[in-house]
Amino acid sequence: MRVSRQFIPYLFLAPALLLLIVFNLVPTIATLVESTFVLSLRSGERVFAGFANYNRIFNDPVFWKSFQVTIVFSLLVNPIQIFLALCLSILINQKLPGIGLFRSIYLLPIAVSLNVTAIVWGLMLDQNSGMINGILTQWGIARQPFLHSVDQALWSIIVIASWIGVPLWSLFILAGLQNIPPPVLEAAKIDGASAWQSFTKITLPLLRRVLAFVLVADTVANFLMFAPILLLTNGGPQLSTNLIMYETYRRGFLYGDLGASSAMLSVMLVIVFIIIGVELYLLRGQD
Amino acid sequence: MKKAKPWTAYIQPAIAYILLISGVIIVVVPLMWAAAASFTPNHKVFEYAYPFSWRALFPVDFTMEAYDNLFERGFGRAVGNSFFLAIATVIIGGAANALAGFAFGRFEFRGKQFLFLSVIMLTFMVPVDLTAIPRYILVNSFGWINTWQGLLVPGLANSLVIFLFRQFFAEIPQELIDAARVDGASWLRVLFSIILPISKPVLVAAGLLMFISQWNSFFWPLLIAPRQEMRVVQVEISLAIGQYGTVWNELLAGSMIAAIVPILLVMPFQRYYVQAITGTGLE
Amino acid sequence: MFVKRAILMTLLLLISLSPSLAQDVTTITWLTLGWPSEALIEEFEARNPDIKVEAEQIGFNDLFAQIQVRLGAGSAVPDVIAVDVPLVSGYALRNWLLPLDPVFTGDEVEDWLPAAVNAGSYEGTLYAAPVSTSTQLLFYNKGCFDRIGMEPPGADDRLTWEEIAEIAQEMTFDDDGDGTPDVWGFIWEQMVRIYQLQALPESLGGDAIGEDGLSVDGVINSPEWIEAFTYYYNMFNVWNAAPQGEEFWPPDIFETGNICMFVGGPWNIPRFAKNADLEIEWGVSRHPYFADGVPATPTGSWHIGVNANTENVDAATKFAQFISTGEGAELWWREGSGDFPAQQSVLALFATEAEFDELPMSYMRTAADEATVNPRPRAVTVGFLEYEQILQNIFQDIRNGADVEESLNLAVQRIESEMAKYR
Repeated sequence: MRVSRQFIPYLFLAPALLLLIVFNLVPTIATLVESTFVLSLRSGERVFAGFANYNRIFNDPVFWKSFQVTIVFSLLVNPIQIFLALCLSILINQKLPGIGLFRSIYLLPIAVSLNVTAIVWGLMLDQNSGMINGILTQWGIARQPFLHSVDQALWSIIVIASWIGVPLWSLFILAGLQNIPPPVLEAAKIDGASAWQSFTKITLPLLRRVLAFVLVADTVANFLMFAPILLLTNGGPQLSTNLIMYETYRRGFLYGDLGASSAMLSVMLVIVFIIIGVELYLLRGQD
Repeated sequence: MKKAKPWTAYIQPAIAYILLISGVIIVVVPLMWAAAASFTPNHKVFEYAYPFSWRALFPVDFTMEAYDNLFERGFGRAVGNSFFLAIATVIIGGAANALAGFAFGRFEFRGKQFLFLSVIMLTFMVPVDLTAIPRYILVNSFGWINTWQGLLVPGLANSLVIFLFRQFFAEIPQELIDAARVDGASWLRVLFSIILPISKPVLVAAGLLMFISQWNSFFWPLLIAPRQEMRVVQVEISLAIGQYGTVWNELLAGSMIAAIVPILLVMPFQRYYVQAITGTGLE
Repeated sequence: MFVKRAILMTLLLLISLSPSLAQDVTTITWLTLGWPSEALIEEFEARNPDIKVEAEQIGFNDLFAQIQVRLGAGSAVPDVIAVDVPLVSGYALRNWLLPLDPVFTGDEVEDWLPAAVNAGSYEGTLYAAPVSTSTQLLFYNKGCFDRIGMEPPGADDRLTWEEIAEIAQEMTFDDDGDGTPDVWGFIWEQMVRIYQLQALPESLGGDAIGEDGLSVDGVINSPEWIEAFTYYYNMFNVWNAAPQGEEFWPPDIFETGNICMFVGGPWNIPRFAKNADLEIEWGVSRHPYFADGVPATPTGSWHIGVNANTENVDAATKFAQFISTGEGAELWWREGSGDFPAQQSVLALFATEAEFDELPMSYMRTAADEATVNPRPRAVTVGFLEYEQILQNIFQDIRNGADVEESLNLAVQRIESEMAKYR
């Protein structure tokens, strides 16, 4: 039996797409629809409320503070993680004795869950007794408040997220690097290109698709992340780590305020969509 | 006799090793502390960590107490459950995601952009935990509470993995596929005997991603299958965090085991990174 | 051993195959924390052969979101739920819990501590039956008192917060001279939670929430609150007698000798008493109070509720009744959570049981008595989770050095904005 050619792509798509639609898309739409309803707590009735929830969050200083924190976090964490992941992947792509061992070690953080990472780093960053401050004082540097300081808490969260994020994303860039046929690079060398030239002129363009994937995936992953906030700072000090995703979780799952929570999620989606659109536009190819 | 290399030839590797080793320290120190603490009696976990001494990195008062307690409480069963779920996800989900990624990466068809943006990108940008309520209502209406399918099926399709496959499959030179198509190979054959064999690095990366996402899943399993005999690894670990404090050595011992399993699985596949180059047939 | 088990298994198999027996068994699920619950379930099942109880144990941090999703979705499971008492109003308002008044006899209700019955009720209806209650004591390390040449307080002494401040500063030592103390004078066990900190303003005559159960302006930024939290601020930031880190759980570092005094729950008494390797000598005294004020102690703990959508009303209420009254409650206290019982008949056992004749377990008697001294429940409000979470943020900020009055005013603004949806 031969299937007509034009149906083949749809057959290939069907299993995954159906699953995604049922278990991800439908719940997402249901959540977004929820943002136009208000649950009357007195009568227990769900009432259509138009943009009331949006009005409510747009007039809420906590939301705007979270919005600002999220944008700052995103502008810092993504470039940092991708730059470091690129460096790391180039490093572990070297043909050096023992490189296999290094690659294996760098895989370790990926296998540790974010919750456990957050807890262990929380203990290490403790102001009075954490290991990091223990080491700093041995070097004669004053103790740092880390998670307890308005100026350092967000950076501490960036470090914790990057401990997993950098090795994870470097794994994908490494896969991309390994897909570059060595003859291409050798040819460049013979033509007298410097290492930097062959990196910018050959390697980077060939990594374009992988980098596009990593950039988009990393951006989204960091937007979605809230476990370290939940476990370590609860959004503090003074809302300096109150990422929108955490505020969304807190409103929906602790306060039971699904309307506001879904409204925040929708706003969030629009922002992520715009950012990813810009990223993909910047990384667009000839095709 | 081989000519000795000039000393400058050693500078680059030396810098590389220095960077590699400093990275290793950042990676290993937290893990060493956690590993050492998992082999320490619970009331001594902080003895050297507060204030910090280097002895905190080694299990000075070695005991298997935490591991014994964990396994007595049924941790072995949770590891088995999670392992089964994660492997099933990699196999079933992997096949479905690879097919979809291939379609998006290599075919032109009506509605391609629309489907990609509306289904793949949208579902990929929404955190599954935050849409848990409607998903719970849906799965509840299927009667899937406390069932294996309730744990497994919603996590099979993974838009991140589909996206990953799409990006890699799109890179494969068209000539390879054309040659096979001229020989009369079906698209399924092209995918399985030409594309997949040269995509081992991405298969490993995607497999790891799927394995880890199922292995580390916590919120959904807790909702959908809270029965004792269906508990998964992360749920079992979280029980160490109590109202009046945390059983630190058990929390960390559970985390150690949870981390070792995916690592052991991935190690043997490492060589595919190297093989991938020789396997592309492009030399 | 093996033979015994094989016989047991065969028997169980036979029982499960026998249709007449299997038919009538109702299975109920009980959403609960990681308490040892086998003994209680076994006893309950022995008394009710037609009911099987499945415990769904989850971590403390995860319980609230789980209840929110599952009951919010109208699910029929879990049938029975462990309820943290200040959340009763919020759950009752959302119609998640079954009214329990018809379940209990007058005697059973009489036996509960009146404060616990009130806390488990919403608008006059009982929604969550009292299981346990709690109180707080001052725990101290005797070695620290020896070191400053002072006699430690007796079990029935009650220090003032002013005295605590003074002693705590003397007991903060920087032995290795690195500029940060290795031994700290004082800490609160749950240092940023309203449960424990509410006792500070209440000792000065402050309140937890306005009379309507929603408004906080003029309540949590009142002079009493400002004075109380200035004390709290000073402890961390001016006297430097308490560690700001919250990653380490205070009883953990009390055991290692790094904390001299902490205010904490009676659950620490058996913990320290059973720790054979404990190198410090410790004791307890009463909960501190402000010299100008009155003693006020935190209270409240776990209640049990029944899912309003349960399909097994009879079995579920039977179980709720078993754990919250009479012999079941006694069994739960002995072999279950070990928390302070909310039944006067069980509380009375502290006075008669030989286990509590000697130190240090006799401190449990001190605790049982302390539980009756001006116990102040947490705010009764339908928006308790919002109230608690926001205050937790604010307490963290004050501890980290933020201005007290500004922070409390910010809390008023944030809580009022969240409460608006209930008006």
